[in-house]
Amino acid sequence: MRIVWAGFRFALACTLAFVFVPRSSAQTKPASKTAATASAAAPGSSFDPHDLTGVWFDDRPRPVTTNERYWIFKFNAEEPPMTEWGLAQYKATKSSFGDRAYPLAETNDPLYHTCTPPGLPRAYLHPFPIQIVQTPGEVIVLFEYDSVRHQIFTDGRKHDETLGPLWMGDAIGHWDGDTLVADTVNFNDKTWLDRIGHPHSDQLHVVERIRRKDRDHLVNDITIEDPKAYAKPWTAHLEFLLRPKWSLAEQFCEDEESFQSMDKDAAAGK
Amino acid sequence: MRKFAAGITLAVVIVVLSIPAVRAQTKPSSEAPKAPATFDPHDLSGVWFDDHPRPITVMQRYWAYKFTEGEPPMTAWGQTQYAAAKPSFGPHAFPLAETNDPVYHTCIPLGFPRIFLYPLPFQIVQTRGEVILLFEYDSHRHQIFTDGRAHDTSLGPLWMGDAIGHWEGDTLVADTVNFNDKTWLDRIGHPHSQQLHVIEHIRRVDHDHLENEITIDDPKAYTRPWTGRIVFALKPKWTLAEEFCEDISSFDSIEKQEVTPAK
Repeated sequence: MRIVWAGFRFALACTLAFVFVPRSSAQTKPASKTAATASAAAPGSSFDPHDLTGVWFDDRPRPVTTNERYWIFKFNAEEPPMTEWGLAQYKATKSSFGDRAYPLAETNDPLYHTCTPPGLPRAYLHPFPIQIVQTPGEVIVLFEYDSVRHQIFTDGRKHDETLGPLWMGDAIGHWDGDTLVADTVNFNDKTWLDRIGHPHSDQLHVVERIRRKDRDHLVNDITIEDPKAYAKPWTAHLEFLLRPKWSLAEQFCEDEESFQSMDKDAAAGK
Repeated sequence: MRKFAAGITLAVVIVVLSIPAVRAQTKPSSEAPKAPATFDPHDLSGVWFDDHPRPITVMQRYWAYKFTEGEPPMTAWGQTQYAAAKPSFGPHAFPLAETNDPVYHTCIPLGFPRIFLYPLPFQIVQTRGEVILLFEYDSHRHQIFTDGRAHDTSLGPLWMGDAIGHWEGDTLVADTVNFNDKTWLDRIGHPHSQQLHVIEHIRRVDHDHLENEITIDDPKAYTRPWTGRIVFALKPKWTLAEEFCEDISSFDSIEKQEVTPAK
């Protein structure tokens, strides 16, 4: 797929040159001093590494067969290092994906029958694009899937212990050079970590390291720390491709039917 | 839903929401045409909340559940739909257990423009080609494309509609169509059909106030277009919280917050 995309590089470049004309508005850039310093450290670059805005979609080949490609339903090909508690939770799940997939009618995936929010980081695994918007004090990830959002405050605030437990967590972030480091806590324990049933507790702590690898690619290195569910922190690596001509559509999880059509779409590569 | 203790007042909720915010407000842009000295009229960004006095008694204040004090001009079809509605608000309120409000028992999306009547803030974010309203309520989004595109008739029917907009002077005119007919127009059951066409005239009347004049055009439900007006106040120290509609208990809690007078 990379090779295919290389063929479109020129067309993309033309489009991107338009899309990334710097805005006069202060909204485009983070307001922090570190951001300004780091921006200056990347002279001549054709993109602003502190501007993550745009519509992004995972950079994997399509179509896929959902039960064969791990990255549709979990973060890594290998198993994460579960604790005894974590393993017990995992064994009790009946995912509709993977080599131990259950039919939809039998799954106990918390989303399927009640459309509860997907939680973080699971939201990244659903086969829908994301849009990032930025304000002077926030980087906001808008997920097409079920209209959920991941609002990362970059204004220097601390975690708010009075919040939660939350579905999408309480996220604060700062720029470490050209990498946005987002730290999210205050989760509830009602969601799965991924689509195959890997567990998490309310001790879940998610650290994302988000950066533009180049103009067209966004990298998110996600560290999962949850001492109740995992013996040690572990890391996943996601890559997203800029989709300059896409915009988010309306998608609300309504009932089981939404998932049936979604799974068909994913299998068909839509 | 937000996990505040049952019986907590809306006044307390507002205080809690305000505590940690140190949010820098957007500065006026240098390219603003004819901008008054204090703000850029084309910059709608920030967190906004309706500018009505709190606390309120929702059963008595029309603006908590509908757009105008008078009745909108319903067609015979519209009257029939309205008569069949069993809202939990207003002059003919039913107990929560008996309401047929479509969102109460299943948490389906609120739809548009009903979303503006909920006692939760929204945040406006602008990009080059969009003005995006992010609602605290159930994470809904009203994404107005201002990049010159036309309506996409291949979309829909949608819950929040297909919205495009353009600037007329200092007013953002948003035009939204392609709705489904599964939602109520407001919180007391005024109806709409799939022919619903919503035109918003959104402008900052001053630095701290945003006005939205909402015109409802739906020939199946209403004999003529009619307009409601809502004013929102800028809340520079607020940020959106997480609020997901989960079940009827979410609404029970919201209503308690609204109807409980401040102590």
